Parts: sequence; structure tokens; C-alpha cells
Amino acid sequence: MSILTLKDATIKFGGLTAVNSVSFELNKGDLFGLIGPNGAGKTTCFNIITGVYEPTSGEILFNGKRITGTPSNKIAQLGICRTFQNIRLFQSMTSLENVVVGGFLRHKTVLGSALCYLPGAIKETEKLKLQALELLKLVDLDDVANTRSRDLPYGKQRRLEIARALATQPQLLLLDEPAAGMNPNEKKELLDMVKKIRDELGVTVLLIEHDMKFVMNLCEKIFVLDHGEEIAQGPPSEIRSNPKVIAAYLGEAV
Amino acid sequence: MKTFSVGDWTKSRLISVVVALIFCFLCQLAFGGDGLKIYLRLLFSLVGIYVTLAVSLNLINGITGQFSIGHAAFYQIGAYTAALLGSTYFSNMANHSSLLWLFMAMIFSAIVAGVAGFIVGLPSLRLRGDYLAVVTLGIGEIVNIIVKNQKSLGEAYGLSTAKYESTVFAVVLLAIICIAVSRNLLKTSHGLAFLAVREDEIASSAMGVNLTKVKVTAFVLGSAFAGAAGALYAHTKGFVGPADFSMDTSFLILTMVVLGGTGSITGTTCAAIVLFIIPEKMRDMHDLMLGVPIGVAIGIMVGVGMLKKIQDTFHGDGKVRFGMNIGSMVLGIIVAYGASKLLCTIHGLQTMVNGQLFRMPVLAITLVVVMLLRPQGIFGHNEFSWSWVQKLIGKKNVPEAEVAA
Amino acid sequence: MTTLSALPLASVDFTTLPQQLVNGFLLGAIYALVALGYTMVYGVLKLINFAHGEVFMLGSYGALFTSWMLGFGPGGNEALTGSWVTLVIMLFGSMLVSGTAGFLIERFAYRPIRNHPRIASLITAIGLSLLLQYGGQIFLLQGGKQAINSKVNPYADDLTFNLVKPDQKLAAEAATYQKRVDDAQVAKDKQFEHEPDRFNPSPLGVSLEKTLNELKEKQSDITNKANLTAVTLKIPKGKLIMLTAILGLMCSLWYLVMKTRMGRAMRAVSVDFNAASLMGINLNTVITFTFILGSTLAGAGAMMYSTFQAAPIDSFSGAAPGVKAFVAAVLGGIGNIPGAVLGALVMGIAENLVTWSGYSSYRDAIAFVILIGVLLFRPGGILGSNKVEKV
Repeated sequence: MSILTLKDATIKFGGLTAVNSVSFELNKGDLFGLIGPNGAGKTTCFNIITGVYEPTSGEILFNGKRITGTPSNKIAQLGICRTFQNIRLFQSMTSLENVVVGGFLRHKTVLGSALCYLPGAIKETEKLKLQALELLKLVDLDDVANTRSRDLPYGKQRRLEIARALATQPQLLLLDEPAAGMNPNEKKELLDMVKKIRDELGVTVLLIEHDMKFVMNLCEKIFVLDHGEEIAQGPPSEIRSNPKVIAAYLGEAV
Repeated sequence: MKTFSVGDWTKSRLISVVVALIFCFLCQLAFGGDGLKIYLRLLFSLVGIYVTLAVSLNLINGITGQFSIGHAAFYQIGAYTAALLGSTYFSNMANHSSLLWLFMAMIFSAIVAGVAGFIVGLPSLRLRGDYLAVVTLGIGEIVNIIVKNQKSLGEAYGLSTAKYESTVFAVVLLAIICIAVSRNLLKTSHGLAFLAVREDEIASSAMGVNLTKVKVTAFVLGSAFAGAAGALYAHTKGFVGPADFSMDTSFLILTMVVLGGTGSITGTTCAAIVLFIIPEKMRDMHDLMLGVPIGVAIGIMVGVGMLKKIQDTFHGDGKVRFGMNIGSMVLGIIVAYGASKLLCTIHGLQTMVNGQLFRMPVLAITLVVVMLLRPQGIFGHNEFSWSWVQKLIGKKNVPEAEVAA
Repeated sequence: MTTLSALPLASVDFTTLPQQLVNGFLLGAIYALVALGYTMVYGVLKLINFAHGEVFMLGSYGALFTSWMLGFGPGGNEALTGSWVTLVIMLFGSMLVSGTAGFLIERFAYRPIRNHPRIASLITAIGLSLLLQYGGQIFLLQGGKQAINSKVNPYADDLTFNLVKPDQKLAAEAATYQKRVDDAQVAKDKQFEHEPDRFNPSPLGVSLEKTLNELKEKQSDITNKANLTAVTLKIPKGKLIMLTAILGLMCSLWYLVMKTRMGRAMRAVSVDFNAASLMGINLNTVITFTFILGSTLAGAGAMMYSTFQAAPIDSFSGAAPGVKAFVAAVLGGIGNIPGAVLGALVMGIAENLVTWSGYSSYRDAIAFVILIGVLLFRPGGILGSNKVEKV
């Protein structure tokens, strides 16, 4: 069953067409890779999907419902959450607090109850903290739960971003270059973690990644973007041998 | 694992409410009297009002990260609302319970100022950082200029209204409520959403936090408290005039927040008390020789220079560092004393200057020096808690914050 | 007419509009010099230098003290009058003072916290501004408000331009009345020559005098009416010289920024602070230079403001022009040099129009109203572009 559909999504910034008529479809439980050279428009795709930018034309469907032009906090509420290419953690908050903010949109009490410190708000906060701890365990960060996130090493910050996104209880998780700056060991751990997220939590994953080996090993379906346009789409084996893709990567394909 | 129980909650809430009320009564008893205590009462009430103002600005500025520097506008709106109400509707009801009226005035002023805060909060959605700062500054000025030109608001002369003794009780209660609301907010996940907006707007929006709601809520809450404080100010002094709400007032409140540590309720409260009392006491200062301030300035420069040097270059043991910091402060004081004594022997520097003139320069120097030495404010983002005190005095075996357990 | 007088603009005299526009333009030209400092510092450091208004204030004092040194101080020689040399020396005096102030502020207040969050430098700027205002009050305000002796300016006389001649019919009528007045005067004088007691004239003398006075009144009435239909422009020569000097300063600034090595470095730093530093540009030099440049221009503006606009000087006198110049910079698009000039001209004209329309007590509010309007509807300013944060 299709969970996310892009239909001819196009976005123009002034004279520049960053994404030109891109269409693809994600099924529930997919591990979907979005690749392409630098400046191909991958992150812009993410920005369109998560409502940071509104597409100039075309539409985006989530679970069959049109979400084009919905503000990004509403999109998170609907069940799409993302990580950022240039890590955007809440730097002076602890890891735990970061993840709690992720879970906040499932918080059920009103602000007044928090201001008066009523039992409802306290219970709800404790619930969120417990959930956050579980997630930190999942990404193997429970030992740094009370460390300020800006003091964490790079790889842990990336994992924390994933935990924070998972806390919103998404159906679809967008990962923007999750393996960037990681060493081979960390990459392998990350690979297992993403698989676990899909298998255990049932979250569909769409990811952008430059490391071909990582993408080919992880993803079941790959979409290749160049200069804002689709050049190939299909399973890793097909993509690997696609001459257009090889040309786009200047013969550097794996 | 500490779990939540309704029984404990009821008990602790009841105790805090009772303690707070008793504290308010004691303050009223200690400072509320007539006679010689009038000045003391005014001073104490103003301290309480400024604590409220600073903590409410902290809600906007420190916790939500919306850099607003026109807080005096909401304070002014509240004060004028109360003064107008008091002179039109309450003048012939003077025998009724003044406390009841005070609460009514507070609530009404809070509502009016909250609406104003809502209107100002809207532009904050489009503006960021310095631009928002300038716009809020401008709004503060515009409000003051409009008030100055309105006949019904007394133009530059101001309005007079009823004066009550029971304000001390109300002032302390308002300050406590304001602090409690801020603290409650930070203790729950709602507050974390506010902090998240301060840290990164785009990321918090992507995590489902409604930026509009958070920012506008912060503005409305903060300005409502400022408005209530304004109502108390009007009835403490019995008079409101535009000069009390100028840009300087906004800057004074801002200084309190920044000095205490943006986001830290404890810091803001302490800074508000200290920063209000010191300049107020300086009003009593008599004429002093011109050489004194110059000598003090030299002393500050020496002390601050040393502190900065230590902070930049010394990375050794915390206790030694602490000692060196204290040492350089003492040295600064000694240099200041010596230099002013010495300078006062020079003929040209023996001119007398009115000590009152030094109020604002002292505030300004404090602001600059704190920014140079500790830009995050004295308390930083920290709050008062017993484990924090233990950490401060050097006990190493501090249990990691209980939240994780 | 009742409906018209009910309108808020009824008191407005439209024949003075061109004069007001020109006055506003000249005031705006001064603001432009100050606005350039705001915009350049913002361009390079992304910092709103709140203390810039106080640099301006110090510049005015620089001009004042220079004029005192040249002998125009209190108790100086009464007969002394200025020449263009005096004005030039005063200009350099104020530029020197404010340039030094700008250098010191950057070196000792902004540089140590350059790497801290921007809010910290913003607060430092506010603190410095307060410090200079109130600290200056202690040391500079001992004699109250000061003003530069008007005799330093030898070019105070006006150039008059007649834009619209007075109404022909009224003018002709005025001329006939003038003739009748002259005749009556002659008749009266003749009669009075024969009067034995000038202070107690005969009935004939009294009636002649009465006619003369009536005629005079009518004549002045008609002349006034005729004059009201005329539109004249009066521009003091000094202000034209000032405008030329401002244009000169702006051209040299343009040359400096666009054509020299230092200007290129400044532009590079304003585009990307870190990248410029990696390319071997010495940030400290560029930033110090920018501050000195901006402050010097503010000093020039201060000298002109206090000499040609005859603005009184005290330690708070920099705040109002500072705010207006800042609004001008934002209006034009902060960081954009031509924008600052354009914004300043708009500000100067707007300010004069507000005074002209009879709302002079709101003169200082107009700056903020414009500012809020611009930021809400076009946050990038007139010429600036609104940058979107990259995700």
C-alpha cells in the first residue's frame, strides 16, 4: 500500500528549478534510498515533503491525503518526521530533553495544566520521559541521557537526531545523510539500526546518502536525482548498472 | 524509580501554597505599615514588581528566545489601565476591601496587557533576533509617545489614582505566582517545547512544535504578568506618568534578565533584586568628587582585565581558579580605592558631582562587564536546586538528575 | 469650509510643501552619513551597533570643542566670524573624535566578544550606548545644553527661488493699493507739515491719517493673499555646500568600497565572514577599518547636523538621529550601501512632512512606525533581499 506519493513535484527558486517534475511512490515498510550528486535537489525534496517549502506545482500525498502546503508541524503530526543534513539538535538541552521534545506532539494535556503543575501534565511528562529513555536505548545512547547534546560526538549526535525523530511516532522517517562523517564501524551499526527501526517499529524509511555501499546494502529501492530531475528508479542491482547513473556520477558508481 | 503519586502531589502543593501565603502575610506585616516605613514599603514593593517584570520578560526572552526589549510597554499599559479604572470606577468605592479591588485591577490589567502582547507577538512570527528586538523597542516607544500626547491619559503629567497599603501582599503574591508559573512550565514537557523554539525554530517545527502557538503564548503570558505588575505599581505609588516607562525601564528589565542568565528563573530573580536595590540606594548618594568615579573606573578596568585574563588562559584546578578570581576582584577594589584617593588630591578633579547621576552608568557598566566576562549571565541556564549547590561547593558524588532514574 | 477645517490636514499650507520637501531632503542627506555607518557595520559583523548614535553625539562634541578652540567659545572674540577654513577644521575635528571613539568601541567592547552569541554583542551595544549617554552626562553636561556658535557659518544667507509667481490679478491689485498708499502718505505728510501740533492734529489730519492706516491694512492684506499663492524656496547657501560635501564623501566611500583592495576585503567579509578569513583576509583589520570608516562618516554628519541644522548638543542628542539613521538603514535594506542613502532621504522627508502636517509631537514616533511597517511587509528593506535560512 502506498504511504507517500510525489506527483510531478516541482519547485522553483527565482529562475532556478531545484526540483523538476519528480514523481515516486513509497510503499509501507519500504527502505527507500534517494541518491544523486551534490546539488541534485535531494534535500530540497525532503524540504518539500516536510513542508519547509511549498512546491511550485505538483502534489504530495501521504496515506492518500493531499499534504501539499501543510505547515511542517502539522506534517510531523500526521506522521512524517525527519533528520537534518547539518545536524539541528537543541544544543543546550540534554539528550533526553531533545527526545522528549520529539514526543511532545503526542502530549495530551493543555498548557494551563502545565502552568498550574496539575497531575495530568506531570504524568504525561513522565510518560514522555520513559518513552524517550526507551528510544535512547534503541539508538544506544542511554548512557548519555543527561549530557548536553552539543557536548556529544558527531556520530552520537546523528543517532540522537534519529531518536528524536522517532519520538514523534512517525509512520515515515526521512533521514538526510545519516551516515555522513561516520567511520566504517559506526556505519555498520547505523545500518543495523535503520533495519531494526523498520522491522521492529514498522516505520517506512526514506533516506538520502552519498555512501553508495551503505545505500546499496540497505535500501530495497533507489531513486536517482540529477539536476532536479529523475534519471533512474529501481532496485539496487538495476541502479548499479544503469549507464545514466554512472554518467551522472562520472563513472564513480560502485 | 520515582513514580508519580497523587497523594504526594496534593501534599506538596498544599504545603507550597500555604507557605507562600504565610510568606506574603509576613511581608505585609514587616513592610506594609505606615509612618517611617513608607519609603521601605515603596522600595520593597518595587523590588517585588521588578522581580515579576524580570521573570515575565525571562519567559519571552530567556525561555522562548524571542528577543523582546520593549517590556516597559506592557508594564505601562497595565499601569494606565489600573489607574484609569481606579479613577473612574473606584473613586467612590474607597471603603470596600482594597485587596479585592487590587486583584480585580490586576486581572483586568493583565487581560489588557495580554491582548497587547498578542498583538506584538504576531510580528514575532516573521522576525528574528535583532529585528524583533528593534521592533519591540519601537513599539515600546510608540506606546509611550501616544500616551504622552493623549489628553485623557494625562499627557506628560500622568494620572493619579488610589494608593493602598495592602499592595505588599499582592506584590509578593504576584511575584511568587510568576516564578511558580515559569518553574512549572519548565518542569513539564510544554516548557521543553518552549526551550526547543529558542534553540532551533526549524528543527522544533519539524518535530511538530507549533511555533505560532508557542511564541504567541510566551508573549501573552509575559505581557499579562507585566500588566498585572503595572496595576500594582499604579496602586503602590498612587500615580503613573510616562517617565516611569521610558526606554530606560525596558533596558533595566532586560539587564536583569541578561545578568541573571537568560532562561534561568533563579538568576533573573536574584539579579532583579540586586539590580533594583543598588541603583535605588545610589539615589541617596550625596555629592562626591569627580576623582572618585574615575578611580573606580580604573579599578573596574584592572579587575575585569585580570578576570578576563584568568578566564582565557588559566585552565587548572577549579578551586585555584576561584581563588584567583576572588583575588583579582579584591585587587580591583583596592586599586579603585587607592586611585580615587590619589585622584582626589588633584585640584581639577575635586569638583563635586551629584551622586544620583551615577545610577545609569553603573547599570550600563554592569551590563557591559557581564557580557565581556560571562555572556551567558551569572547563572547561565542553571536553576537553583540542591544538587546544583552540592556541585558548586565541590561534592563530586552528585546523583545524576533524577529524571533519568 | 467647515468640512475642510474638520479634516486633520486643514492647517496644512500647501505652498510650503516644496520647501518642506527640500528641508527633508537636506536633513535626509545628513541622516544618510550616519546610516552608512550602521549599514556597513551590520554588513561586516551582522551587529546592530546601538552605540553608533553615541559616536555621533561625540562627533558633535568634537565639532563644538574644535569651534571653541578656534575662538568661538563662550567669552571669545565677538567680532570673529568663520570662513570655509573654520568649517573644514571643525569637520576634521569631529571626524577625528568620532573615528577614535569608533575604534575604541570596537577594540575594547566588541572584539572580545565577537565569537560569543550575537545577542551578547547586541546587549553590549545597548550597554555601551547607555554608558556613553549617562556617563557623558556626568562629564559633558556640566554646562547644560550646548550649541555651536552660529557665527562659524559664514554662509547663512538664503538663496531664494520663486517657483510659482504670485497670482497676477492679486499682484496687480496689490500694486494699485501700493500706489494709493503712497498717495495717501504724501497727502498726509503734506497736511502734517502745516499742523501746529503734530501730536494733536486737526480733524483733517486725523481723517487723512485714518485713511492712510486703512489703506495700509488693506494693502498688506492683499499682498499677503498674493504671497500665499506664490511658492518660493529658500535654501541657505551653507546647506548647499553641505550637500556638496556629503556627495563628495559618498563618492569617495563608493570608490573605497568598490575599487580598492580594502573595499574588496570588506565586501568579501560581508558575504561570508569565515570564508573571507580562510582566504587570508585579516578580519581584525577589516572590521576595525569598517568601524573607523562608519564612525568618521557619523562624525561628519554630526558636525553638519549641529552646525547647519543648529541642533543643540548634549549627551543624549545622539539618540534621536541615531534611531532615525538606523531606521533609514533598515528601510533601505540593512547591509546595503545605496539602500542606506535612499532610506535616509525617505526618513528625512517623512519626518519633515509629519511636522508640516501638524503632528510634530509624533515626529519621533514616525521613525518606529516606518520601521515596523517595513519589517512586517518587506523585511529585507527597499533594496535588500530577504534571506531565507538554509535548511
